[in-house]
Amino acid sequence: MSEARFESLLDTAADGIIVIDELGRILAFNKSCEALFGFTAVEAVGQNVKLIMPPSYADAHDGYMENYRRTGHRKIIGIGREVAGRHKDGTVFPIELSVGEAATSEGRQFIGVLRDLRQRKAVELRVSQLQAQIMHMTRLSAMDEMGAAMAHELNQPLTALMLYMQAVIRQSRAAPAAPAGDKVLGVLEKALAEAERAAGIIQRMRQMVEKREPERTRIDLHDLVDEVIDLSDFVAQGSTVTIRRSYRDKHKVVDVDPIQIQQIIVNLLRNAVEVAKDSAGRWVEVDIGGDERVATVSISDSGPGLSPEAAQTLFRTFTTTKKSGMGLGLAISRSIAQNHGGDLSALPGGDGRGATFTLSLPIGDGARARRDEDTKG
Amino acid sequence: MIVEDDPAVADALQALLVGAGHDATVRSSAESLFSSAPPRGGDTVIVDLGLPGIGGAVLVAWLSALADPPRIIVISGKSSLTIERETRHLRPVQVLRKPPSADWLEAMTTASPPH
Repeated sequence: MSEARFESLLDTAADGIIVIDELGRILAFNKSCEALFGFTAVEAVGQNVKLIMPPSYADAHDGYMENYRRTGHRKIIGIGREVAGRHKDGTVFPIELSVGEAATSEGRQFIGVLRDLRQRKAVELRVSQLQAQIMHMTRLSAMDEMGAAMAHELNQPLTALMLYMQAVIRQSRAAPAAPAGDKVLGVLEKALAEAERAAGIIQRMRQMVEKREPERTRIDLHDLVDEVIDLSDFVAQGSTVTIRRSYRDKHKVVDVDPIQIQQIIVNLLRNAVEVAKDSAGRWVEVDIGGDERVATVSISDSGPGLSPEAAQTLFRTFTTTKKSGMGLGLAISRSIAQNHGGDLSALPGGDGRGATFTLSLPIGDGARARRDEDTKG
Repeated sequence: MIVEDDPAVADALQALLVGAGHDATVRSSAESLFSSAPPRGGDTVIVDLGLPGIGGAVLVAWLSALADPPRIIVISGKSSLTIERETRHLRPVQVLRKPPSADWLEAMTTASPPH
């Protein structure tokens, strides 16, 4: 394939890609690099790569390359690191750089992949500002993300396991009468190790999700819910969704683990706000009610409601209607509620009405009595 | 040649290929492939899309650009949308998803090389 064809392939990559020769001369400079550094490929190709480095890096770069040519000692090749780049207008900004080295018929080439870190840095800063305030309440969201990461992690041992089994089956089919030799046994042992690796991942996940005995405190549900709404308002600054409070009784004292219950409410509120955001009404209503035995927190939204199919699988793990997440949030929320002797249920709405999620919790000593009974049983 | 950073997946794939009588070497990254003699026309390179450092898509583009390019098979555990996005701009390549939904060896040996 021609050099021109290679460059046209690189031009469609989202990352900046640059190819230099062993003297540091730019051989290829893709479209993303043009956007990143403000130089056109025509301006950049043929120039020394120092063109896109701040002076502090540029001065040292020739030395690095010369040192590598002489000693073979690598400072960056095959490692990747965060470095600084310089735009045509002089702006210096952080980039992530990975460098590979290839021997070609035209001599040694270095291929660099560059990613702009500015946006990520800004997001990191914003996240760390908010993290301190919301950390203990966003555990559910973290679990959801962790679930996605774990599914990804499970993929590797599962792939290896299946490939090992495919290899064994093929070998056994080729010589069905032959006894399983050391080679087949070796593959089977490795397959078992991969199955154990997958089991270990499931084990970790189970430990994270498994029921923890609530650390109960007697608390007024109003105070608890108010705190969550105030926090959600703070986190969602600039959001156009209004959160209304509708509290029917003055006090609702419950005996619960406040952090766990707040996690449920944060999760429900976040879901409701997300749905309401795209609706005409743009409101979420939080209602506290119940009777002398049960306290309820209901969260309704102005969204379109849930489809019957979605409503049926709502509390199932790994079921989600959202683009991100694994659908662990509602399943864990319900398990926390039930662990308190309560429950979490949903009215799907539809036909112009939004969904309503209701968290019910036993009032006062009811929870304790029920738990004692459970212990006896 | 297998370019895959997960040692178990690489080893299992190698076991499958060697068991079927193929020569199969393993590289754990694009960088380590670059440091050896480049593959040739008669070779097949199996590339994991999610390589650390220089990613699988860049490696595939580089391999495709060689004067005598090898046959390339992409393997990936990423979502179909991500795979589509990352390979959209490449020359058409065969993609196998992790975990395997069918016998990979069969899929690799029966499919015709991309043009």
